[in-house]
Amino acid sequence: MKHDETLRIGVYVCHCGTNIAGVLDVEALAHFAEGLPHVALARHYKYMCSDPGQELVKRDILEYNLNRIVVAACSPNLHEPTFRRAAEDAGLNRFLVQMANIREQVAWVTDDSTEAFTKAQAHLAAAIRRVAGHEALERQFVQIQPRAMVVGGGIAGIEAALTLAEAGKDVILVEREPTIGGHMAMFDKTFPTLDCAACILTPKMTAVKLHPFIKLLTYSTVESVEGSVGNYRVKVRRKPRYIDESLCVGCMMCIDGCVFTQAKFPNPFDQGLGKRKPVWIPFPQAVPPVPVVDPEVCLQIARGKCKQGCVTACGERNAFRFDQEEQIEEYTVGTIIVATGFKAFDPSVIPYYGYGRYPNVYTSLEVERLLNAGGPTAGKLTLRDGSTPKRVGIVHCVGSRDANFHPYCSRVCCMYSLKLAHLVKEKTGAEVFNCYIDVRAPGKSFEEFFNRVQDEGTQFIRGKVADITPANGDGAEGGGLIMNVDDTLLGTIRKIPVDMVILAVALEPQADASDVRRAFGISCSAEGFFLEKHPKLAPVNTANDGVFLAGACQGAKDIPDTVAQADAAAAKALALMDAGQIELEPNTAWVDEEMCSGCQTCISLCPFKAIRHDAERKIAVIDPALCKGCGTCVAACPSGAAKQHIFGDEQISEELEGLMNYV
Amino acid sequence: MSTAMDRQGVELLERLGKSGEGKSPQGCMQCGLCAASCPLGYAMEFPPRKLILQAESGNLEKVLASPSLWMCIGCYTCSLRCPRDIELTDGLWPALRDQSLQAGIQPPAELQETFQNLFKYGNNLGKSPRQRLDWAKDLDVRVLDLSKEPRPVDVLWLVGCYPSYYPRNQVVTRAFARILTELGVTWGVLGAKEKAVGECERMFGEEGLFETLVEENRKLLDKCEFQTLLTLDPHAFRALQKFYPQHGAWYPVKHYTTFLHERMEQLKPLVLKPVKATVTYHDNCCVGRRCESFDPPRELLGLIPGVELVEMERNRENSLCCGGGGGGMWLDAHIVAHGGHRLSDERIRQAAATGADTLAVSCPYELSRFEDAAKVTSLEGKLRVRDIIELLAESMDLGERNVS
Ligand SMILES: Cc1cc2nc3c(=O)[nH]c(=O)nc-3n(C[C@H](O)[C@H](O)[C@H](O)COP(=O)(O)OP(=O)(O)OC[C@H]3O[C@@H](n4cnc5c(N)ncnc54)[C@H](O)[C@@H]3O)c2cc1C
Repeated sequence: MKHDETLRIGVYVCHCGTNIAGVLDVEALAHFAEGLPHVALARHYKYMCSDPGQELVKRDILEYNLNRIVVAACSPNLHEPTFRRAAEDAGLNRFLVQMANIREQVAWVTDDSTEAFTKAQAHLAAAIRRVAGHEALERQFVQIQPRAMVVGGGIAGIEAALTLAEAGKDVILVEREPTIGGHMAMFDKTFPTLDCAACILTPKMTAVKLHPFIKLLTYSTVESVEGSVGNYRVKVRRKPRYIDESLCVGCMMCIDGCVFTQAKFPNPFDQGLGKRKPVWIPFPQAVPPVPVVDPEVCLQIARGKCKQGCVTACGERNAFRFDQEEQIEEYTVGTIIVATGFKAFDPSVIPYYGYGRYPNVYTSLEVERLLNAGGPTAGKLTLRDGSTPKRVGIVHCVGSRDANFHPYCSRVCCMYSLKLAHLVKEKTGAEVFNCYIDVRAPGKSFEEFFNRVQDEGTQFIRGKVADITPANGDGAEGGGLIMNVDDTLLGTIRKIPVDMVILAVALEPQADASDVRRAFGISCSAEGFFLEKHPKLAPVNTANDGVFLAGACQGAKDIPDTVAQADAAAAKALALMDAGQIELEPNTAWVDEEMCSGCQTCISLCPFKAIRHDAERKIAVIDPALCKGCGTCVAACPSGAAKQHIFGDEQISEELEGLMNYV
Repeated sequence: MSTAMDRQGVELLERLGKSGEGKSPQGCMQCGLCAASCPLGYAMEFPPRKLILQAESGNLEKVLASPSLWMCIGCYTCSLRCPRDIELTDGLWPALRDQSLQAGIQPPAELQETFQNLFKYGNNLGKSPRQRLDWAKDLDVRVLDLSKEPRPVDVLWLVGCYPSYYPRNQVVTRAFARILTELGVTWGVLGAKEKAVGECERMFGEEGLFETLVEENRKLLDKCEFQTLLTLDPHAFRALQKFYPQHGAWYPVKHYTTFLHERMEQLKPLVLKPVKATVTYHDNCCVGRRCESFDPPRELLGLIPGVELVEMERNRENSLCCGGGGGGMWLDAHIVAHGGHRLSDERIRQAAATGADTLAVSCPYELSRFEDAAKVTSLEGKLRVRDIIELLAESMDLGERNVS
């Protein structure tokens, strides 16, 4: 260990109430520290993080000329900034502080106080030896561009974009589909209040279109993301619409003019239940109100031969561009909000529900479209043969709460199933049977809504439907269906004849979630939704600074929760952008220029693309703004030129020496 | 007040939870998917859901004494569908039956007889071991009895009890012997030494008897040198593939559909004679639903010129069991007496509804079950029940002269 007579280390052992003091003899620990080299003083105190605790450190620094501080307390993730600030207030460089985690790593993981004490000694000795080798470092900051990108234009993305724009920030909103709106735009009504979805959504969509600070890129996806917090460089891939957005006025005359007189291609927005032409628009209130041409079926594009009725109808506005090509545009933004939403589970993988085999077995999303006035049946709920259903079964938990598909609860299906029961009854007078495992209605006004639907006469059967079979023959159009279910409250197995079955399908991660995850450098939880930084305390942050989450891409949730989360994400992004800068962690790597041979080994290994080769000087150069301090280059460098602040060889070996003395 | 028996139910569930076989039954959420999926659930006093509920609530006694304990025919539908991934078929049912036997409760008389047969003769049918090779009498290909002439072979064929003794099955057995020979593999059988594999015994809860059989078979098999252990019986296949290794007895076992499927290229030029038939294939539960081998049998049938394949409404993992597994072979009367029905009768009607003239099977139990069912449902003469082997053999001109 370095013998430096000028070293004066102050050591503070925190009780953390009984969290630490309940297991460890804190007084003895302080006494132990006092005996170690260079320790000028050691104290123990009830709550080091409290104001008096911090004051203690500050006073001691001034009074006793301390030039290193060790706090033995909780995880540095929690209070390292607190003690760094305290030291700085007293005129000491903030990086001359070291924490020893004797709570999470000692007191909380054992009941054996003798063993705990030995381990705490080791941690403390390690921190003291380590901090002796710390150097004063300068704080480094990067500037944050005051511009945000929101990816996904569902209700989450719309809400986040509007909040940011209202705060005066430039927003680039990237949406994969030809229109924003997401799933909410498909619904007729929304639970539990039964507001008309379009009535509350379309004003926000229009606000997005009109807002001077929002640049809307529809029919676009994110191609790649480079850089880091404050300065993300995002490449956006824009699919050709074959119509110039700046010239189109949204008159929709081209759709009438199209040489296809009949709409004959399945409309994805209607879940394939409705038909569209090669030039089409998902729904009348789409934003932007610009049609899109499907190159697969457009005669002009696919075969190069068409009378181009659309172009004629467009007339002198002349907005058609059949030669439009895919384009890549690059944007630099300071923060990113990922709001890519969910995908509805495809129930055709469950053979016993007959989806895709029996025409009158529908998914909930399909029924949302049938109920919607703007949908394929103009809001009339009908069976495939056009008749009105008289008995309708709703199967809860399709793909949710099922180890074979998704073990999690999708959170919204109970409520939307209640909504559908209500709407089906209202529109058709049909008898409705909801087969459920548990009705989960824990939100505001949810239980009351459940009660209302019960009062309306919907029958609730507690059991997971086992089979849906045709009542007779092969289940072709017209034939009824049988729902086979164990009525677990009655204790008997029932065969319930119905003529329509609605499968309440799960909400699952988007098919491309893992690509999106990789592009933005974030993680997924076990079920594939994007992972927040902390489930309780950082629900909209991600492991990647400056990238936030909003809506169903983070986990299944309803519209109220989605909107709340979107505003939270916007607030977090705003906080960063308004601060204008963010402090970098000091533990970045640097290159000793004298020693670097320019072999470039480190460049390919760096997971953050933070190192480049300076061809002129023939050395590697590390961008501290991109370096995350992982140490890969340091370990790999054959000539020992890559070094790391706070994690120098001496600091690490001193820390290890300290530890090893006690194990 | 809780009695010892009260605790026993919970303890049994706890034990199963730790067995590594599926997830803990204590995680059951009483959704009832098992009960309604079970083809006999409607008739059971205690379908799987209630077995767990009752065992947990201190009513194990009731469960152990219920006739419904002997109504599971081991079709695996509940196990595969269970949203909590609880191993009902291979775990819960055998454990409860085992407990019931240990508690001294008499199983249905038919079962007791088969246990005794197995104990005395090494097969459930009560036949003499000396007649094991009767099927091979006057056969036009050589059958190597490895118990008499030990030597290394490509294939050790465990012929199985039904295929050895039942006249209807012997036709299939002989055809398969010819196909094996035609394929040029060297193969042998164990002759009079062969014993039942014991899958049913395990399902019956006769764990002790099963273990004895594993031991005896292991001694026999370890003496032989072979590349593949072959069986016509999906139940034997399942036991050898899954349960034997749990007792340290692992063998490279294959069901014949897989074995032949691997030799499709070799079969192609041999399958020449058209067999005019509209065929629907019945997926057996062990190789099908449980081991998810759905395509190989269909592709084998597809090889045969003239065969037109049609599917039943319930097929592949959604197939309906013939009712013969899990001891069902001997329990028809018990099941019917307690409000159930013979699943083979229901299944053959489903087969007939396709318009097929042939019901193809790949399990030795199914031939007799479906042929009986055809009689009961007046489908005899309209729907022929044939093993895939018979259809292949006919097309390869290796069939029984007096049969096809
Ligand atoms: C049948 C059904 C009925 C429902 N009914 C109700 C109800 O009545 N009330 C209620 O509160 N909730 C309801 N919900 C839940 C509701 O749909 C969600 O809460 C809400 O849609 C979540 O919004 P979102 O913006 O997070 O996701 P989404 O609505 O899924 O929007 C995500 C958007 O991101 C876009 N996107 C996806 N990937 C990319 C990418 N890689 N790049 C660019 N853009 C991308 C998508 O195209 C989409 O526009 C229902 C859900 C279902 C399935």
